[in-house]
Amino acid sequence: MAIVFHIPGALREFTAGRSRVEIENPATTLADALSALWTIYPGVRDRIATEQGQVREHINIFIGQENTRYTGGLATPVAAGSEISIVPAVSGGCEDCAMPGGDVG
Amino acid sequence: MIGQILGHCRILAKIGEGGMGTVYRAYDEVLHRDVAVKVVNKDARLDPSSSQRLLHEARASSSLAHPNICTIHDVGENEGEFYIVMELVEGKSLAAMAEVGGLAPESVLRYGVQIASALARAHDRGIVHRDLKAANILITNEGLVKVLDFGLAKQAGSGIFEGPTRSFATMEDTSSVSGTLPYMAPEILSGNADDHRSDLWALGVVLYEAASGRLPFEGRTGFEISSAILREIPNPLGPPVPPGLWAVIQRCLAKEPIQRYQRAGEVQAALEAVQSAAIVSPDPAAESTQPRTTILHSVRHAHVRKGDFLLLVGTTKGAFILRSNAQRTRWDVGGPYFHGHNVYSMAFDSRGGRHRIWASTQSYWGTLLRSSDDFGKSWTNPQQAPIRFPSDTGVSLKNIWQITLGRPDEPNVLYCGVEPAALFETRDAGESWSLVRGLFDHPHRPRWMPGNGGLALHTIVLDPANTQRMYVAVSAGGVYRTEDGGSTWTAQNQGIRVMFMPDKYPEFGQCVHKIALHPDRPERLFLQNHWGLYRSDNCGDKWTDIANGVPSDFGFSVVMHPRNPDCVYIIPVESDEFRCACDGRLRVYRTRNGGASWEPLARGLPQKGAYETVLRDAMTADSFDPVGLYFGTRSGQIFGSRDEGRTWQKIRDGFPSVLCVRNAVVEDGCVGLTPPATKPTAKHQTKGRSKSRTRRSSR
Repeated sequence: MAIVFHIPGALREFTAGRSRVEIENPATTLADALSALWTIYPGVRDRIATEQGQVREHINIFIGQENTRYTGGLATPVAAGSEISIVPAVSGGCEDCAMPGGDVG
Repeated sequence: MIGQILGHCRILAKIGEGGMGTVYRAYDEVLHRDVAVKVVNKDARLDPSSSQRLLHEARASSSLAHPNICTIHDVGENEGEFYIVMELVEGKSLAAMAEVGGLAPESVLRYGVQIASALARAHDRGIVHRDLKAANILITNEGLVKVLDFGLAKQAGSGIFEGPTRSFATMEDTSSVSGTLPYMAPEILSGNADDHRSDLWALGVVLYEAASGRLPFEGRTGFEISSAILREIPNPLGPPVPPGLWAVIQRCLAKEPIQRYQRAGEVQAALEAVQSAAIVSPDPAAESTQPRTTILHSVRHAHVRKGDFLLLVGTTKGAFILRSNAQRTRWDVGGPYFHGHNVYSMAFDSRGGRHRIWASTQSYWGTLLRSSDDFGKSWTNPQQAPIRFPSDTGVSLKNIWQITLGRPDEPNVLYCGVEPAALFETRDAGESWSLVRGLFDHPHRPRWMPGNGGLALHTIVLDPANTQRMYVAVSAGGVYRTEDGGSTWTAQNQGIRVMFMPDKYPEFGQCVHKIALHPDRPERLFLQNHWGLYRSDNCGDKWTDIANGVPSDFGFSVVMHPRNPDCVYIIPVESDEFRCACDGRLRVYRTRNGGASWEPLARGLPQKGAYETVLRDAMTADSFDPVGLYFGTRSGQIFGSRDEGRTWQKIRDGFPSVLCVRNAVVEDGCVGLTPPATKPTAKHQTKGRSKSRTRRSSR
């Protein structure tokens, strides 16, 4: 069975408009699964991860209903049929990101 | 020796021998634990003062409680025999493990992180290893690194530790120098002062050896090895060694200590970054097939024509293009572009016949530098972020605070100032960017402190008369100047006060908010500090307070008059705690005598209950005569003056918080109808006047 990615609107520009991407891949961890995703759609990579390979601070990645931030991060196991959702943080993330530094002192 | 008691340890068996002495397995009969006891050779000719130093240093090292440092329990003398009691580590040396062709990169990274962590702890305590090598690093059966012999080498007299190894895990031939020399840093061989960075060199050698099974600098004799260390570049390590790991090793092996990592913690972070970068798998072939430009269909655009005047406005929720003509009475608005993103910096680039608008965007999807050649109808949206920190830095880009065009005769050069504070440069009009290492590796950098909005390099000023001279300003680091095109930088903060440190006039650490230079007098700079207004008449060598008669010397922006080098505009705010227009009266202040006195310019600006803030890049001056001035506030209002600040009008309100305002005059062609996603193909004859009129205004 394939791994299924749910792509948020902001990133569909980089997935040929697809909101759902299925990948046949024997990935065992979230890191493997993401690598497989951006081998196909490379533009997604820098939106989700920093140049040092960390998932961005205000991006959450869920496997099923579980936020992988609390289940081992990139090492979280992925099984065939896993549904992976990429979701920007709802409140704090957005505002935290928008406001810092206006008037740096 | 077997069966003897040293202190309260009974010697059980010999487990190793080296140049320094012999190592025994022993049993501590008081504390009931297995230990290792190293007995210094009697023929090591330890003189009394060396002996005292060795004791002292061993005691200092015993304070290094760290899981990756072999603990020293005790030191002592017994009938003239000097001995060290230490943690018994059962495992193999890294040298032995790497012998056969090197280790898997994952193992090298795993061990490297632990070694760097051990060095970081020791260096923090002022202890330098001075003899780090693969033979001194043990890997326990559980995969835990234990670094041996911390701090012992330094205090050893020349006769004691000359031998090739002091490890009890390997027994090497004491007659050759190959045990230690290959790990020595160039500065040690040259007889120059060494410090903790020599340990980082040795770490580079260890990582190279662990990854490849070979030493980076080899030779048949000591002379050949020394020459290689001093002069040669090691053979590159290719797959399976990941490029990130090779980059870390190369930086550790920089011949000049200043070019290396400056702290072991940085090496640790860089190695950890390579570990986690396993998820980043660049595939350049795939990239070129993907679209790079986003065409915006649902956004209102300004239709720009020849002779139009533009204001580029970056806000906390996107960018806007305000279009007018030379009269500047009627405005239409294009945007918002980059819906919801912070746009801290914009620039208009007319060099080489372009009409290019640059913008930096920041959101939870990261930070990008983007450009439009058709006044906002389409913007680049690169697959890969063009400005990115190299993997060996361990640092990730947070924001781009400043986009500065290079000199007119270098139309493909641009600079970006970013957070965390660093300078990037492109020489191919933004196709590729590189980190300016000379500044990033500055020894002050680790001691720069973030200001209220992060640690940002927010200002870049080029000297128009001297192509090698350039200034940057960092909050909070201060002003730095290069005289050699960016290779080396010096702090230029003499006379600038800081309120938040015990030393009010430190060499660096100032929270500079903005600096500005006038092209007609390039040796003169004006500076708005976090408290304090200053002028320098000698390229920043010294600064003089010029806050003569302003209601507050706190503020952000400083804008030069384009033709009068004595005329500067500022917008003071009340205080650090209350960053709003003084007394609720929004007033621009102007000096026309280089800061000897200031006059308020308030006609047309709200003078009651106007608790406005104007940020460091939110004011700009055009090049018309009389000069036009424009600024945006955090409350989303844009004000303008067409008469050098004498009277003001509100241009628009209702914008999101304004972060930056820039202006441009469009000189060439009717470009509003340029088809999206294509660059203008017409060859524009760039005239001198055109350049100066579309040049980005002074900040």
